[in-house]
Amino acid sequence: MTGVHQLVPTISPRDAVGNHTLALRGVIRDLGFDSEIFSMFRHPDLMSETHYVDRLPEDADAVIYQLSIGSPVAERWARHPALKIANYHNITPISLVGKWDGLLAAEVQLGRDQMARYAKVCDHAICDSDFNKSELDELGYTSTETIPVLFDLTQANPDPSALTKLKNNQRGTQILFVGRVAPNKAHHDLIAAVRALRELHNDDAHLHFVGTDGPPGYRKVVETIVTHAGMRDHVTFHGSVSQEGLVAHYLNADVFCCLSDHEGFCVPVIEAMHHGLPVVAFDCTAVGETVGDGGLLLTDKSPSIVASALHRVASDPVLTQRLRDAGRRRSNLFDRKVTQERFRQYFSTLLESL
Amino acid sequence: MSDSQSDASYFKEVVAEIEAEAQRRSSSGDYPRALLRSLDEEFRRWVPDASLENGVEETIRAIEAAAYVDPAVPVSSRTPVGRCVKWVVRRLTYFYHRHVTQQITALGIHITRPLRLLDASLKSVHRRLAALEDRFDVDAAARSELAAGISTFSSPEEFGEILSEHFSKVSGRVLIGDLHEVQLLRTLRDAGVNIYGVASTDALVEEVVDVRQENLFDHLGDLQNESLDGFVLSGIPDRGSVNEQLRAFRLLLLKSKPGAAVAVIVVHPETWAARLGPVAADLLHGRPMHAETWSYLLAREDASQVTVIEASDSSYCLVTANLP
Repeated sequence: MTGVHQLVPTISPRDAVGNHTLALRGVIRDLGFDSEIFSMFRHPDLMSETHYVDRLPEDADAVIYQLSIGSPVAERWARHPALKIANYHNITPISLVGKWDGLLAAEVQLGRDQMARYAKVCDHAICDSDFNKSELDELGYTSTETIPVLFDLTQANPDPSALTKLKNNQRGTQILFVGRVAPNKAHHDLIAAVRALRELHNDDAHLHFVGTDGPPGYRKVVETIVTHAGMRDHVTFHGSVSQEGLVAHYLNADVFCCLSDHEGFCVPVIEAMHHGLPVVAFDCTAVGETVGDGGLLLTDKSPSIVASALHRVASDPVLTQRLRDAGRRRSNLFDRKVTQERFRQYFSTLLESL
Repeated sequence: MSDSQSDASYFKEVVAEIEAEAQRRSSSGDYPRALLRSLDEEFRRWVPDASLENGVEETIRAIEAAAYVDPAVPVSSRTPVGRCVKWVVRRLTYFYHRHVTQQITALGIHITRPLRLLDASLKSVHRRLAALEDRFDVDAAARSELAAGISTFSSPEEFGEILSEHFSKVSGRVLIGDLHEVQLLRTLRDAGVNIYGVASTDALVEEVVDVRQENLFDHLGDLQNESLDGFVLSGIPDRGSVNEQLRAFRLLLLKSKPGAAVAVIVVHPETWAARLGPVAADLLHGRPMHAETWSYLLAREDASQVTVIEASDSSYCLVTANLP
């Protein structure tokens, strides 16, 4: 049987790239190919269904590399004689992480170097967004295609206790952001915006952050800002939550706000839209094309402007309803079945000759 | 128009309204300026130093923590039998794993030691560099702004005649730099001196043909040693730091032939301070050295006929000499 395998530096179940890799394996298997996942660092929950990187068969017909960080695993892919396909999820620029996490800075720099080096050896590349595609095109990758990341939008039931607790504490506008606590996600800008909302618009607003911790230095600074801004009672870091817990947050919030400085796609924006949450986002990198016509896109994220946007959404029921409807329509475009079909068509054409 | 298109244009209108409203309220003072300023500044106050110093420290600490490799393989399992089997295997292979991991740990420790040394060296360089910056520099923007005041300085015309006489017996190339006005160059050229100028701005290049638009230090770096028959050092004594003045002087000596005729034109320190005003005089990273200092420096090089001539209005001094 023809082998089309995937290589990924790290795989874990609660991670966008990890989930995408597992879902893509299903698509490839459905096409009748033998498909396994090989990784250097495997989450204990995925030990039984993934393999250590050394086991990658030399006679594989095609190898897909999930590119999102620098790793020695990439060299193994580049040297493999099979058809080489890269699936690019973007790499945060070193300028955004260098001050916070030396190790991560080294990894992203390695990733960017590898990305530039592999333009000549990579046969085909799939990118989550046109923004990612433009980066590869600029580096000289010859066959690039935009297909969004695979993720599940099926309606999980909200965690009832979490939802009740959140609803009981509701006073003013509830603002939500989902994403790793990392400098490129600009949590600090959100804090400034919500502080402006509270002080300029007299709104007892509350900011909810859901997501794992990134560089420890950044989390420390964000907490210091919260304290200095007198926002300790108005900002909550919920950390990593279950799928049911996440749904509870989407159902509780009034607005989803994303002020990231760098995103290769931004899955939470689509999840928020799917759950009928109005989206306000800063238009940069791939955020604009992900939000599309399903949310308010700001070209300036000054606290006063973001606060005005949040206030307008919270106080204008007509706008809120149109944002909810537009968001739902937009999220349907990223439905897993739709994306799966695009991957299926892509691979069936690409691998036809194998 | 589809729902999607009409929503898109409606959302764009809303964003334009929001931005205009926020702009209007900010400029009308409706939003307290102090609050807006503090919101903008809050994050910048806490961002770590751009030097990455903390990042290196944390990185090394993380590598040190990872350098220890634990030979005790986890034995947890979904079933009690699995746990038992893993435990037995671990006991049986412990001698082997311990031997391997000890060597890996030793390697890790050996790798982190030079990293620590490198980190200490970097920190030392960083400290020394900061001290140097403190000593010689002020903020770059302020420097250029302040230095702009000096560009209006021009040396007295009367020096043209004196220098023409000084270089009259010199047949080879004479350099004048850093050039800021062309009159002196013209006077010396008309007097038959084989002179050329080096100017850091291109404005002068258009006026006379024998001016090269180049940084004086770059130009001197490219010149062969002992290739000049004479030089006039100007401009840099008026605006360079002590370091720059001495570096330019040393380089010119190195590039001059034995017996070369040399001259230094320098603004009088009091004139300099009076023309620039107290702020620029205090904040600029250097100030002109006295003519006596230039005489001393030339004398130390065993130069002969060291002469100091003060301009009639006492604003400038000309120091001439012949190298040994």
